Amino acid sequence: MRVVVDGRVHEGRAVDLDGTVAARELAAAIRDGHDRITVDCPDPGRVHEHVGLVSDDASIRPRTALAMAARSRGLSTPEDERRRRVRERLQALSTPEVDGRAARKRVAEAGSDVQRLRERVAELRGRLDAGDDVAEADLRAAIRELSERETERVAAREELTAVRREQREARAVRRRRLELQDRMENLARTARSKLVDRLRSDFAAAVAAARRIASEPPSGPSADPFDAESVTVALAVARLADVNAPLVLDCDRFETAAEAAAWLDAPVVRP
Amino acid sequence: MILVVTYSRAARLSLRNVCRTHDDAVVTRFGRAALLEETAFGAFQALRLQEKHGLDVQLERTEPFNEFSHVDGDVREAARAYENRDQPSTPYERFAAGRDLPSPDALRGREL
Repeated sequence: MRVVVDGRVHEGRAVDLDGTVAARELAAAIRDGHDRITVDCPDPGRVHEHVGLVSDDASIRPRTALAMAARSRGLSTPEDERRRRVRERLQALSTPEVDGRAARKRVAEAGSDVQRLRERVAELRGRLDAGDDVAEADLRAAIRELSERETERVAAREELTAVRREQREARAVRRRRLELQDRMENLARTARSKLVDRLRSDFAAAVAAARRIASEPPSGPSADPFDAESVTVALAVARLADVNAPLVLDCDRFETAAEAAAWLDAPVVRP
Repeated sequence: MILVVTYSRAARLSLRNVCRTHDDAVVTRFGRAALLEETAFGAFQALRLQEKHGLDVQLERTEPFNEFSHVDGDVREAARAYENRDQPSTPYERFAAGRDLPSPDALRGREL
C-alpha cells in the first residue's frame, strides 16, 4: 500500500502515521477517497464493512462479520445458489403499475357534482312552485347539467371498477415479489448461520489468541466468544479473514503496525 | 374500519412501526395488513403510508357485516343447513342439489 498525507509518502504492508490523521478519515480514504489523504491499495472487500476500522467506539455484529470473513476465504453454502435462482425469478417479475388515484378522484368529483346539482334543481323547483320569479330556463339548464353529471358518474364508476380489477391482478404479482424477497432474506440468514458454524471453533481460538496479546486473563470454558469485547472480536475476525485492502487499527493492542500486520496476516495502517 | 395491506418489505416495516407507535389507532394487525380506526387520524396514518410507499400500499374500507341486512335468507339458510349436515364428507354442491338450496355457481353469480 501507499499512503500520502500532506505530501508525505508512506509505503509498505504496515504503516504507522503517528497520530497525524483521524482514524475515521483514514478508513474513509480507503473506502471512497478523501481530500487530505490518498491511499493506493486494492479495493476493500465486503469484510471491510465490518473490520475495516478497528477501534473502541466502532461497533461490530460478530456473527455477520464472521460470515463475511468466511466468504472472504471463498467459503460458500448451497443456499447461495438457491438465492441466485430466487434473485433471477425476482428480476424476471414485472410489476404492473396500476394507479387508481385518478379514477377515484373522478368518481368523487362526479358524485359531489351530482349532489350539488340535485340540490340546485330541488331548490329551483321549490322556488318556481312557490311562485318565485325564477326563470324556467335556469331550471331546465340545471336539469340538463344534472343529467350530464349523472352520466359522467356512471362512466366514472365503471372506470373505477375496471381499474380495481386490474389492481387485483397487479397486487398478486406484488405479493409474489414480496414472497420471493422474504425467501431471499431467509436463505441469506441460513447461509450466514452455516458459515458461522464452519468458522466457530477457529473464531473461538482467534478470540483466545486476541485476549492473550491484550494480556487479558483467559476466559472460562463456557464463555461465549461472540460476547467478547468488540475490539477483540474485530481482531479475531480480521485474523481469520482473507483481507486485501489495509485495515485501520485504532487500538493499543500492538506496539507497531508491523506487529499487527504479522498477527493479523493483513495490511495494516495505524492513524 | 380502514384496511391497510402492504406489498413490499419496506411498506410492511412502516406499517409495523405505525402500529407500534399509534396502537390506539389500530384495531388489529395481521403481519402485513392492519385494520385502523375509521377516524381522520386513522385515515391520516393510512394516507401517509400510501404517500410513502405508493402502489405497495392498498387501502380499503370495511363496514360492519350484518347478515340480516346484507345477505338474503336463502344464503343464510344454506350456511346453517350445510354446517349441520349429517354426512361430513358431502360437498356443498351435492348437498344443495338434494335440497332446495342455491348451487355454488348460483351463489357466485349473485352480488351482495
